[in-house]
Amino acid sequence: MAVTIIILTAIALGLGVLIYVVNRVVPTRVKGIEKTEAIASLLPGMNCGACGHPGCFAFAQALAEKPELMAEGRCAVAIQDEARCRALEKALGITLDAAGMRKKALVHCNGNSEVTHDYSGVGTCKGAAQLLRGYKKCPYACLGLGDCVKVCPEGAISIKPGNGVAVVDPEKCTGCGLCVAECPQNLIGLVPAGTKVAFLCNYGPLRDIPGREKCDAGCIHCRKCFNACEYGAIEWNKERAVPEFDIEKCTLCLKCIEACPNHTLAGFAKAKVMAAAK
Amino acid sequence: MNNLIAIFLGLAIINNFIVAKFLGLCPFFGVSKKLGNALSMGLAVILVMLIASVATWIINHYILIPFGVEYMDIIMYILVIAALVQMIELFIKRTNLILYNALGIYLPLITTNCAVLGITLINAGEGYTLLESSIAALGGGLGFTLILIIMSGIREKLEIADTPRVMRGLPVAMLIGMLLGLTFFGFGGIV
Repeated sequence: MAVTIIILTAIALGLGVLIYVVNRVVPTRVKGIEKTEAIASLLPGMNCGACGHPGCFAFAQALAEKPELMAEGRCAVAIQDEARCRALEKALGITLDAAGMRKKALVHCNGNSEVTHDYSGVGTCKGAAQLLRGYKKCPYACLGLGDCVKVCPEGAISIKPGNGVAVVDPEKCTGCGLCVAECPQNLIGLVPAGTKVAFLCNYGPLRDIPGREKCDAGCIHCRKCFNACEYGAIEWNKERAVPEFDIEKCTLCLKCIEACPNHTLAGFAKAKVMAAAK
Repeated sequence: MNNLIAIFLGLAIINNFIVAKFLGLCPFFGVSKKLGNALSMGLAVILVMLIASVATWIINHYILIPFGVEYMDIIMYILVIAALVQMIELFIKRTNLILYNALGIYLPLITTNCAVLGITLINAGEGYTLLESSIAALGGGLGFTLILIIMSGIREKLEIADTPRVMRGLPVAMLIGMLLGLTFFGFGGIV
């Protein structure tokens, strides 16, 4: 027994020391790797791949060549951490607007789906969703019982009095994503903070259900928004039969919102900017 | 010589790690979407398998067997393989960045992959010599790469095929894996 413990401990210690020595001894033959390694040490190091690179080190390599990449907010983990952002600013020689790059939660429902029956059970969305998939005609609609309101640490979510749908205030939202996990209807998604037009229908997986039958405000795939856009900022996703918006090309002319016959589209975040554009 | 060929072919095709032994199934489904990724993964597995086989043979013969603690093989192998891969990664990163980028994230990911641990345990169980262990590792790694490449080729075609919606993605990949397993079952009994 004692021998076993000693052998295992000795080998573990030996290997630890060996790794340390190798780390010190191996010469650096690749030019500029110190800088890349310095950047990599400031990145989260979880290798999640959300930035589009295979790992943090690959992202650091790309950053060493093009520091501006960081300002695009690809690394969602780093921009949640103020201290990490300051350190990266120093290492890369750029300025980062962490708050501006964060994602914002968006409830993909416009309400207006008819209530089919009275529900008087447990007063949470989770409870209501368990029973007959909620009490609205559209099985994917926002139930408005406020599970997300309770979980939000910033108090950014409220239930709209008119149609009983949860609405996120983009000014208060920090993009933490707690509400995304909480919603039993999978209605809440994280969108880039710079989003200009919001698509208020959870229509993604519902290609076969015509919007009209289930909801007054659902997408009916008429493509009016796609045809109305003069700047090519809207692409029609054929697979899911929904419009997709290109933030870069959008000029906030708001023609798509006006064109939408079912009011599925709405302005997002920059209400003041939009008023000025009008 | 015949013995070596038998070991090599046995692990590469007949007792293939993925389709016959069902080891390393996570990369089989996870990294087989694109041919390039599959190739990188395969290369990393061959490299790590070779290194792990040699290192664990030494550990087995000079530490585990003399002290009579063979039952500790799994924990010892995991420890040694993980540390070795860490060192190799450091070395490659500082000397050859192109190779490092080609192997990418896969090198650290497969440190304790079941296929890698599997080859070392097979080597110890069969009582292979150092040369036989290396040949077995080479065969196992090449067989693994072969299956990954075949699978990625099929899955790239599947992406554009008109698959029923319920079968899209992983379900149909599982079926393809089953057919692949049946195909390789035909090699059984050759060696």
